[in-house]
Amino acid sequence: MAVSLRESVQLVSDPRNLDASVEEVFQLMLGVTCRRDSGPVLHELESVTAVVGFGGLLSGACVFRSGSSAAIKIAALMTGMEFDEIDDTVKDAIGEIGNMLAGAWKGKVPNLAANCGLSVPAVITGRDYNLHVQAPEFQLHHAYRFA
Amino acid sequence: MSEIRTLIVDDSSVMRKIVERALRQAGLTLMVVHEAGSGTEGLDLLRAKQVDLILSDINMPSMDGLEFLRQIRAQNLAPGVPVVMITTESSEEHVKQAILAGAQGYIRKPFTAEQVKERVLPLLNAA
Repeated sequence: MAVSLRESVQLVSDPRNLDASVEEVFQLMLGVTCRRDSGPVLHELESVTAVVGFGGLLSGACVFRSGSSAAIKIAALMTGMEFDEIDDTVKDAIGEIGNMLAGAWKGKVPNLAANCGLSVPAVITGRDYNLHVQAPEFQLHHAYRFA
Repeated sequence: MSEIRTLIVDDSSVMRKIVERALRQAGLTLMVVHEAGSGTEGLDLLRAKQVDLILSDINMPSMDGLEFLRQIRAQNLAPGVPVVMITTESSEEHVKQAILAGAQGYIRKPFTAEQVKERVLPLLNAA
C-alpha cells in the first residue's frame, strides 16, 4: 500500500512512536526501563546533546539532550566502564544513542525508513546553549526518566 | 566453536565495544578482535591481517559501510569471510543494498546478544 508523504509525516509525528523508540533503545542497549516523564525536568548546568539530521523525504533533526550525570550513567551502562567526567567515550555513547533513536523512530514508518537518510551524529557539550532547527514540519519535545 | 578472528568496523568506539561484548555473550571465543573506525581503516587492516568474520556499521564518515563492502569484494580481500552489517538503517531497500554489495547478514541497532547469535553463528558454521 502506497503511503503519501503527508500520511508518513502524520504517522511519524505520532508521539507514541517516539516513546516506543526510546523504550526500545534503552531496554535493548542499556537494559533499563525508560519512560516518558511529565514531572519537572531537572536542569543541570552542563549537558550533552546529540543531533542526528534527517534528509530526503523528511528534513529535520532528532535531538537527544541529557544532563551530565545522566549522560555519564548512560555511557556506564552501555560500556560497563566508570566515568568521572564527560570525556570522548561519554560523548560517543550519547551520539550513538541519538543515532539509534533516530533510526528506530523513522523505522516505525516504512516509507520513511526507505527514503529518509540519517547524518552521522554531532555531539554538543557545555553550558547555556540553545539549538534551533529551522522551520520544522512538526516538533515533538518529550522528557524521559530511566531507572 | 573454535577461536575466531574478528574485524569490527564502526566510527563509534563505544559501539565497537558493544558489538564485541555481544559476540562474547553469544558464545563466541574471540581470539583476536581488530577494530577500525572507518571503511578505509578496515581495508588497511584486511590487507595486513587475516580474519574469520567482519562486522561493519553502514553510516560512517569518509567511507561508509557499503563502499567498504564493495571494496572488499572488488579487491578480493578476505575471500569467503562472512560480512555482517550492523546499522540503524532497517528498511528493505537498505538490506537489499547491503546484500547486493556482498553482505551475508544484517543486524539492526539496537540489538540483543541473542540476535547477534542468531545472525552470526549460522554464517560461521557454514564458512
